[in-house]
Amino acid sequence: MSNPYLPKIASIQKVKPETYDTTTFTLQLDDPTERKAFQYRPGQFVELSVFGAGEAPFCISSSGHGRDTFDLSVRKVGRVTDALHEMGEGGQVGVRGPLGNSFPFEEVEGKHILFVGGGIGLFPLRPQIQDVYRERDRFASITVLYGARTAEDLVYRDELEEWQQQEGMTCLLTVDVGAEGWTGNVGVVGTLLQKVEIDVPNAVAFVCGPPIMIRFVVQDLSGMGFGEEAIVTTLERHMRCGIGKCNHCMIGDKWVCKDGPVFTYRQMKAMTEFEE
Amino acid sequence: MTARMLPHERIDEFVARLMQSAEVVAPRRVEVADVFYGPVSSPGEVAWDYGTAIEPLKRFLLPQRETMLRFSTDGGLKVEAECDERERVFLGVRCCDVTGLGVMDAMYGGDIPDPYYMSRRERSTVIALTCLEAPEETCFCVCCDAGPFLTEGYDQQWTSLPEGMLVEIGSERGEALARANEDLLAPAELDQIAARYRLAREAEKTFGDFKSYIAGAMAKLSMNEVDPEVWEQAAMRCTECGGCTYLCPTCSCFTVTDRMNGSEGVRERHWDACLNNCYAREASGHNPRPERSDRLRARFFHKISHQWAERNGRQACVGCGRCVVGCMAWAHMPAVTEGIRRGVMT
Repeated sequence: MSNPYLPKIASIQKVKPETYDTTTFTLQLDDPTERKAFQYRPGQFVELSVFGAGEAPFCISSSGHGRDTFDLSVRKVGRVTDALHEMGEGGQVGVRGPLGNSFPFEEVEGKHILFVGGGIGLFPLRPQIQDVYRERDRFASITVLYGARTAEDLVYRDELEEWQQQEGMTCLLTVDVGAEGWTGNVGVVGTLLQKVEIDVPNAVAFVCGPPIMIRFVVQDLSGMGFGEEAIVTTLERHMRCGIGKCNHCMIGDKWVCKDGPVFTYRQMKAMTEFEE
Repeated sequence: MTARMLPHERIDEFVARLMQSAEVVAPRRVEVADVFYGPVSSPGEVAWDYGTAIEPLKRFLLPQRETMLRFSTDGGLKVEAECDERERVFLGVRCCDVTGLGVMDAMYGGDIPDPYYMSRRERSTVIALTCLEAPEETCFCVCCDAGPFLTEGYDQQWTSLPEGMLVEIGSERGEALARANEDLLAPAELDQIAARYRLAREAEKTFGDFKSYIAGAMAKLSMNEVDPEVWEQAAMRCTECGGCTYLCPTCSCFTVTDRMNGSEGVRERHWDACLNNCYAREASGHNPRPERSDRLRARFFHKISHQWAERNGRQACVGCGRCVVGCMAWAHMPAVTEGIRRGVMT
């Protein structure tokens, strides 16, 4: 019987600070065979072990296309993430996964693709943004709306600049609280929805951010006429096993780890624990 | 696979043979009246006349604390897993607990089998012991399709008749065990099998002090139609001690933690309880179920909603009554299901 709790060993290839409390770690599995077998889709996550500190789930924040490494973008917020932030290049960690389901891709071909991200909610959206952009001919348009609390909280600053400049993509930024030196939009991310033209009946929205942001953006999108199937989000919960055994991530009759983490708004509404 | 008779005077010999090749876990009188399932060292230790065991069987398959991995951070990270490969016979197990195992099997098996649980389970033989009358006033297996006699889920099911144990066969494993001990067994007579069905009907009539309105509660829970006041009232009583979850044959949540000693470490899992405030709390401090009423609702939804019954093959309450005994706050399964039905906790 194979052991789904047994991590594969990976080494940290690169450490890139994103903000004052978030960092992107680029990992590579040590074993070349395991490395080759590690195929994932945007939206999936891994259970990361920092041995001695513990294990926690993190979304994979990079596209798997054309590379044998993957990124985990992590906020320093607890025991495992504190210990991870103490590690440098060459440090060894454990990885289980890829786990969970993934964002629809082929299913949304031909549509206008809208991404709405709040804070570190951009982490799980990034691989999907990268994949959709790479194959932009297959989609009608690509729009990224991203907001953070302050300018200091914006993640992937270099990439955001690229997204704002490159052809075939619209990318707007906002911060909740303006400050000296910030000349962009001020206001919650939902306010950006008024600034873009969206062909709602032919669009699909991918939303991720803090719970309150998701709630308001979903309300805004529903008000604009987005159908329940056309709003896709990815949820996070406290998890231990990642394979539907420990039950920590349960919402109603679903495990976020195994049935999700990607859910449509329709699926979320059907969860008995879901609060509008 | 025909039923057999095991004469009373040959039971000890049968048990002795089981003990030669496996650890035999059976009801044992630990204190004056307290019976626990545990490994027996001689056939005479088995308490055949017991009511119910204080704890269910689950700790033999899902220990309260178990090592999942050993790792070493010295000179390159090394990680190893270990599994328990002991052969076990669970002997004289009450029908509710056998049914509970079935629910655990659904949870820990499935498309991603849990190797720790399943390696033990696959090496287990289950011999159920039927209840000829309600063993305790807190028993309500009759409300849960989990006793006092079973029609499935066991390898062998034993019923005590005047002339010996009627041995019903429920699986290939149970049949193989009977074949290996055929010299101790005789084919069961028709009137002995008829007696078993008569005894089952009579046994059912002796239950009734505690009823649990599972079906009615299931309908309301599944449709999200429980009056929120019921959860508020239950939350006022519940002290979040977690006793019901530890005593429940089908509560199986666990948490995982690493422990280090120098460069050597272990990853362990421990029983957890969804009623604990910190159960779903995330590293950020966000708690999706901040109120005890939220957690109670989630627990009962997982136990007896139609949605989870469908995923697990049946609802997860087996009517063993341990939560009734263990709950000092009267927020146990029969109290809550009645509360759900009436719209108020009484």
